[in-house]
Amino acid sequence: MSRTTRIAGTARKRGTLLACTAAALALLTTACSGAAAPSGGTGQAAAAPGKDDKLTLTVYSKFTSREYEVVTKALGKLKAKYPNIEVKHEGNQDDDKITQSIRGGNPPDVAISFYTDNLGAWCSNGSFQDLKPYIERDKIDLNQIPDAVRSYTEYQGKRCAMPMLSDVYGFYYNKDMFAAAGLSAPPKNTTELFEAAKKLTQFNPDGSIKVAGFIPTMPFYANMAQYWAPNFGAKYLGQDGKSHLAEDPGWKAMFEFQKKLIDFYGGHQKLEQFKSGLGDEYSADHGFQRGKLAMMIDGEYRTAFIKDQAPDLKFATAPPPVLDSIAGQYGGGFTTGTIIAIPKGAKNAGAAWELIKQMTLDTDTLVELANGLKNVPSTKASLTDPKLKLGDEFKTFLDMYDSGKLVPNPSTPIGDAHLKAVNDFAEKWQAGGVPDLTEGLKKVDQQVNDELAQKGSGG
Amino acid sequence: MTATLSAHTTGSSSAPVTARARARRARHRRTVLLFIAPASLGFLIFFGYPLIATIYYSFTKYDLINPPEFVGFDNYIRMFTSEQLIGKAAYNTLWLVVVLTVCRVAFSLGVASVISRLKSGVGLVRTLCYLPSLAPPAAATLAFVFLFNPEFGPVNRFLRLVGIDGGLWFNDPAMSKPALTLLALWGSGELMIIILAALLDVPQEQYEAAELDGAGPIRRFWHVTLPSISPVLLFGVVNSIIYALQFFTQAIVAGSAASGTADVAGNTKFIGAPQNSTLTYPVWLYVQGFRYFNMGYAAAMAVLLFIVSAGFTWVLVRRFRKSQHQEEGA
Amino acid sequence: MTTLSEAAPRPPASIPPRVRVKRNWNRKLFWIANHALGIALAVIFAAPVVFVVLTAVMKSDQAMSSSLWPTEWHFENFVKVFQDAPLLRYFGNSLLYSSLATVGALLSAIPAAYALSKLRWRGQNLFFMLTVVAMMLPPQVTIVPLYDLWVRLGLTGTLVPLIVPYFLFDAFSIFLLRQFFVTIPKDYIEAAKIDGCNEFQAMVKVLVPMAKPGIAATAMFCFLFTWNDYFGPLLYTGENRDNWPLSLAIASFRGMHHVEWNLTMAATALIMAPVIILFIFAQKSFVKGITFTGVKG
Repeated sequence: MSRTTRIAGTARKRGTLLACTAAALALLTTACSGAAAPSGGTGQAAAAPGKDDKLTLTVYSKFTSREYEVVTKALGKLKAKYPNIEVKHEGNQDDDKITQSIRGGNPPDVAISFYTDNLGAWCSNGSFQDLKPYIERDKIDLNQIPDAVRSYTEYQGKRCAMPMLSDVYGFYYNKDMFAAAGLSAPPKNTTELFEAAKKLTQFNPDGSIKVAGFIPTMPFYANMAQYWAPNFGAKYLGQDGKSHLAEDPGWKAMFEFQKKLIDFYGGHQKLEQFKSGLGDEYSADHGFQRGKLAMMIDGEYRTAFIKDQAPDLKFATAPPPVLDSIAGQYGGGFTTGTIIAIPKGAKNAGAAWELIKQMTLDTDTLVELANGLKNVPSTKASLTDPKLKLGDEFKTFLDMYDSGKLVPNPSTPIGDAHLKAVNDFAEKWQAGGVPDLTEGLKKVDQQVNDELAQKGSGG
Repeated sequence: MTATLSAHTTGSSSAPVTARARARRARHRRTVLLFIAPASLGFLIFFGYPLIATIYYSFTKYDLINPPEFVGFDNYIRMFTSEQLIGKAAYNTLWLVVVLTVCRVAFSLGVASVISRLKSGVGLVRTLCYLPSLAPPAAATLAFVFLFNPEFGPVNRFLRLVGIDGGLWFNDPAMSKPALTLLALWGSGELMIIILAALLDVPQEQYEAAELDGAGPIRRFWHVTLPSISPVLLFGVVNSIIYALQFFTQAIVAGSAASGTADVAGNTKFIGAPQNSTLTYPVWLYVQGFRYFNMGYAAAMAVLLFIVSAGFTWVLVRRFRKSQHQEEGA
Repeated sequence: MTTLSEAAPRPPASIPPRVRVKRNWNRKLFWIANHALGIALAVIFAAPVVFVVLTAVMKSDQAMSSSLWPTEWHFENFVKVFQDAPLLRYFGNSLLYSSLATVGALLSAIPAAYALSKLRWRGQNLFFMLTVVAMMLPPQVTIVPLYDLWVRLGLTGTLVPLIVPYFLFDAFSIFLLRQFFVTIPKDYIEAAKIDGCNEFQAMVKVLVPMAKPGIAATAMFCFLFTWNDYFGPLLYTGENRDNWPLSLAIASFRGMHHVEWNLTMAATALIMAPVIILFIFAQKSFVKGITFTGVKG
């Protein structure tokens, strides 16, 4: 540091340079005051656009390829009502990018996120605008949205996002492989799942895996702790709002089940080797679509990918197997959903709200989106609409949706830091890097509670 | 002009001479100022100000949405007590500093000495060895993740041909850093060229003399080559340490490309994969600062990084200072 | 060392003939071993690029099988990459970033390097040392306040925060140019000044033409550095895909387009190509520039 101050010292001796420094400082200070002006109303609803206002709404979402086209088309339907509004849809913008754009003061008018992982963070720090003034102004009846969906799209009673379709994670299995292995029904609990996995797995002569019955390692496709947790009754936070994984028997059961399966395959290395030879999650070479996996847990949207990329695959769906001791939970599973919101600093908040209404409450739009993406519609009216065409394999997901047993992620102010901590742990555990499960989970708790404390709401 | 005239008329009086000298000095000063003004301004804005501001921010809690809040030493306390991943990140970076530096300098020296002894095809070999260092790191990393894919990558296929089980490379926490090191070696062409130039500068007579004295290749290398290229090797060591301290792109791209999940590179969830073995210190600083927006904490991490890297930089700066003095003396 | 130099004048005739024969044999073996090593090195260094190109023209399922040589040649993969991703746009952004930064760096660094090498002033050494320090420091050290600064100016999401600094201060360019300028004898500049040039004219009319190779090398390094830069674009343009340069786009390519390795490798080959072409045309400047950074320091 001393060297920096020294050059500042020599510079000051020269008059002109002093002026330069002053100019530089002036630049900095004006910059500071410029940012102080609040952008985007927080307490009031911005008016809907007039008929003559020409404007372009930018929308960020994570959709790509085929799904991107479907959503872009649905977004374009706003034109019927507002011919003066253009919608510019930017795909492949993940949660990190949305956060970055808001912090950078450069947000889109509308942000769409695939899941609710970061909802708590966005709501609590004001990244997403509170929608209450809009809902009150337009007298929106939120009861048209099912209760479970309403609960996962708000944070501590604050509504700063609306649900745009729901995702339900079910169980997929390959019918041909089941028939060949003499299996007739999908497994209902983890014991049956383990037995089925043993029967369906085929090894090469050299001992490596040829076809895997059920891959337990994470992260892998939709294998992540959050998608599995509800099937084991595992919970992230205790009553006090802090992380209590180490005291939860569900997490232990989940990790022990994982370990059992990994041991069956002959160790973590072998599975990693096998995994690395499979195609990407959303490409046509997905392992399940290529007949390299017999069973898996995945979202309902996979039915659309299979129809598009592997139409000849004979598969069926069922609710995911649950831990033997919580058999009553069978029929439920993990749920999340796409959320849509107005970020802080959005330039056309009023028009953005019109678009959000269209995308989340208009039955025709929702049905079209649901049909295109093969997602579960998120209003009561659209769920029973006769135009809904989702296919036979989809019935499982609608039934799960009705079961009342679906579990969403908790909304926390730390975004997905707790999910990273759990998944990091899962990775380490799988590889045999954790000698004591309880002690290991305690460390995860510590790390999550540290992040919670950093955000000032750890309790 | 007036000064010149008056100097002529009054002859050898001393006062006008100093006036003239003063005017010249003033003009000289203005010229210097004009020449270095943009650079000085740039230095103040992009280095002076941020260096001081980083220290200020390191004592605050700041998320870019709400104004900074002074929290004293909280960030530093957190760094050394409750936050667990920083230890892992520091270890990973330290690992790279040690292993990568040793390997990079030794490898570059080895390749350069092979090239320096070639009689034919020097140009071609030199070009081929140097070219990879120009490849964009993000692209080179992607290529390596593919080449080292455990199942279908060419590297493991070759190893299988000779009967070696190749391992998981970027998918194995124990091998991901060695794989990154190989990637860095592939791109160490710049250092090779620098060392090669130094090797060619060693006076040929010294070798001949040593040979006549009966010194074998190893002794010749030890007694003739090493002493004369040691300044360049020192440069290589410091340069490699700095390179390892800033290791970012390759780590972040390899982590997400090898995780096998179809996500955007740099997605928080897959940074550091597998098992945080590629989570380097700058990567974690980035995640804390620009993904979790714990800017105060990131600033505290930056202060620590500054202290460490300034130490290594100092070694090199001293060398430059020495060589500059020599120039001025000459 | 002293014994070695004392030994120098000893006549070669004193070596017995048999030893000489053996030494010749040794020398030949050494020659063969060394050249074999040279060939091996060349192959090892070239192999990754060869595999990238070979994979780029494969069908996707072949890229993920265990064959090394393409059974069918799909050169259209290179075209497909352009259809799948707005590569031209990314290419344009890269070109904009790199060329503007290079121009800026030269404009700001040439006078500074001139002042450092051809003028004498107080604080000169200090300024040079600070330049070296700035060159060596990891960019992460200053990034928190700088990002904050650009956010306040409302310029994140654009290429501006990446380009503007080059117009004021680029430590590496100043350093490298200074190293070059030092080697140019001061007499030429003195002569120009006697002819009536001021410092500025002396720099533009005498020094710059004489230092052309050095300036070319500096420009190329600057261009290359910005072309390859990943951290800066990730930080400042991450959320705005319209402004992504190639380096950032390539890293997200797979996740973005759900494509397999063949197309990813096609894109990788395409982004490496300009750099290789640049090198082929300017090999000498490169090599000269590199040696200057290390040896003359």
